[in-house]
Amino acid sequence: MAGSIPGSDLAERTAGLSAPASEPVRAKRWRRLRRLARARLAPFGAAVMLLAVLAALAAPLLAPYDPLAQNLGNALARPGRVHLLGTDNVGRDVLSRVIWGTRVSLVAGLVSVALAVVAGSLLGILAGYCGGRVDGLVMRLMDAVLSFPPLVLALALGAVLGAGLSGVLVALGVVYTPTFARLMRGQVLSVTARDYVDAARALGASGWRVAWRHVVPNAMNPIIVQASLSVAFAILAEASLSFLGLGIQPPQASWGSMINAGRGYLQQAPWIVFGPGAALFVTVVGLNFVGDAVRDALDPRMRG
Amino acid sequence: MGRLVLRRLGATVPVLLLVTVGVFLLLHLTPGDPIDVMMAESVDATVKETLRRELGLDRPLHVQYAAWMGRLLRGDLGRSIRNGEPVIESVSRRLRPSLELALCAMAISLVIAFPLGIVSAIRRNTTIDRAGATFALFGICMPNFLLALLLIFLFGVTLRWLPISGYTDPLEEPWNGLRSLALPAVTLGLALAAVVTRTLRSSLLEALAEDYVRTARAKGLSEWRVIWSHVLKNALIPVVTVLGLQLGTLIGGAVITEYVFALPGVGRLVVDAVFARDYPLVQGVVLLIAIGFILSNLIVDVLYGWIDPRIRSR
Repeated sequence: MAGSIPGSDLAERTAGLSAPASEPVRAKRWRRLRRLARARLAPFGAAVMLLAVLAALAAPLLAPYDPLAQNLGNALARPGRVHLLGTDNVGRDVLSRVIWGTRVSLVAGLVSVALAVVAGSLLGILAGYCGGRVDGLVMRLMDAVLSFPPLVLALALGAVLGAGLSGVLVALGVVYTPTFARLMRGQVLSVTARDYVDAARALGASGWRVAWRHVVPNAMNPIIVQASLSVAFAILAEASLSFLGLGIQPPQASWGSMINAGRGYLQQAPWIVFGPGAALFVTVVGLNFVGDAVRDALDPRMRG
Repeated sequence: MGRLVLRRLGATVPVLLLVTVGVFLLLHLTPGDPIDVMMAESVDATVKETLRRELGLDRPLHVQYAAWMGRLLRGDLGRSIRNGEPVIESVSRRLRPSLELALCAMAISLVIAFPLGIVSAIRRNTTIDRAGATFALFGICMPNFLLALLLIFLFGVTLRWLPISGYTDPLEEPWNGLRSLALPAVTLGLALAAVVTRTLRSSLLEALAEDYVRTARAKGLSEWRVIWSHVLKNALIPVVTVLGLQLGTLIGGAVITEYVFALPGVGRLVVDAVFARDYPLVQGVVLLIAIGFILSNLIVDVLYGWIDPRIRSR
């Protein structure tokens, strides 16, 4: 709460008066982002992320086989030169399915978090800006969502929304919304207490202009940090739901459903589980490193 | 202390009310007619009509909610449309395996996390510390179901030491019961241990930097005595908070763990109800889980005030 200590926000005050507040903030953000490269584990995380994005985008080119083509004569084949990760119980190439599954995982992680960021930020701005009864209602609503264990809520929502990727995306979006709403509300409350917001108001800027030009850009850092940390967990959550049978439906490949399908063959063909399992684990670890690096770069409190 | 409890209880009531609205509306979120979703097309139209009337779906929404709430307050959580069993009975029958699983997992996580967290903090930046950090990262990023399958592969399929599914009540057959809970409890406990280790290490490091630690050392106390009687109690506060925050994850993890190991617990009941499209059962169980979750958080909050007197006065 820099605003509560007199004089501590002097630099920001002058910046807010002389130029649109978003400019220096953006410049500062880029300078901080460059620190990413220096963080220790970030290069590994970035490499994993790039690889995953590449696999997702170029899946048709990279996959050696059709991920849906069955070959019962060659079911449960060991990993070898022909099938690098072996084949599953109906003779589909595990590697090709893992590559196609990257698409589902990344889409699920990015889209559900994006939904939550947009919905949560809007609700947070609404609550923080309007205050009073609106604030109370919105925040109690968020508390109510947080009163459900995340997976149980996603499971129940996924069940009523119907199996399929879109149901899971909405369900996970709802689950992650309160985090962003709380963050945004807190940011809005602390930013609107700053002098440069008063200054903008005194200059006659409209409420929405103040919100859009001054409050939101200054409140974005923690949202970006939280979003980058959430993607990894959203990917895990999607995998858990599709492991349980919600989410994208067979025969389409997703890591979670592949692992579930392979668990009956752990003895004869453990590679059916280990292929997608390794992909999932490495992706989540990599994205966690990226998230940590983004946090170190943007959140001054966590540095040191 | 009493005021803290009252204040927290008061704040819980509106949230609980919104939770009931949410759970009630769950049934109405289905795209299309919930009756058609729950029952196959071939089911006779009169049977569907009877169910519709039984669930009150032919009445206006607010009347339905009032009737549903009225029944809730009398302890009637509805009944399964598949086997007609009251929800409360299904849940109470399955509560014991879930609680046993949770307790075992909790015990395993504390047994791992406390020594590891304390040693990591004291021997900071050594091999042990790095090993602890790697373990924590591993535990946080490892999906529950994958860990479960790895354990099954190792201890069930390859070594054949432990049963890989099913449940024996440890209160009736202690040895076989504990064996049947071993893999599920380790699955659930390792993830929790990872988070607790991380939190304990960082809160210990923070507490170790305090002035009173220097005073205690200057008095000539041994390092273990300093840790044990001065640092640990102060470092426990964040751990309790994190344990509270992890409850939700723990319940979700229990759902998956029970599913993988075929434990007849509450989590398994949720999954089964979801896939049987037994919406009244889903509503009832989800509501009970949410209430249990809210109450546990309340207990954690009060516990927090008990450990740290400064919280009470806030």
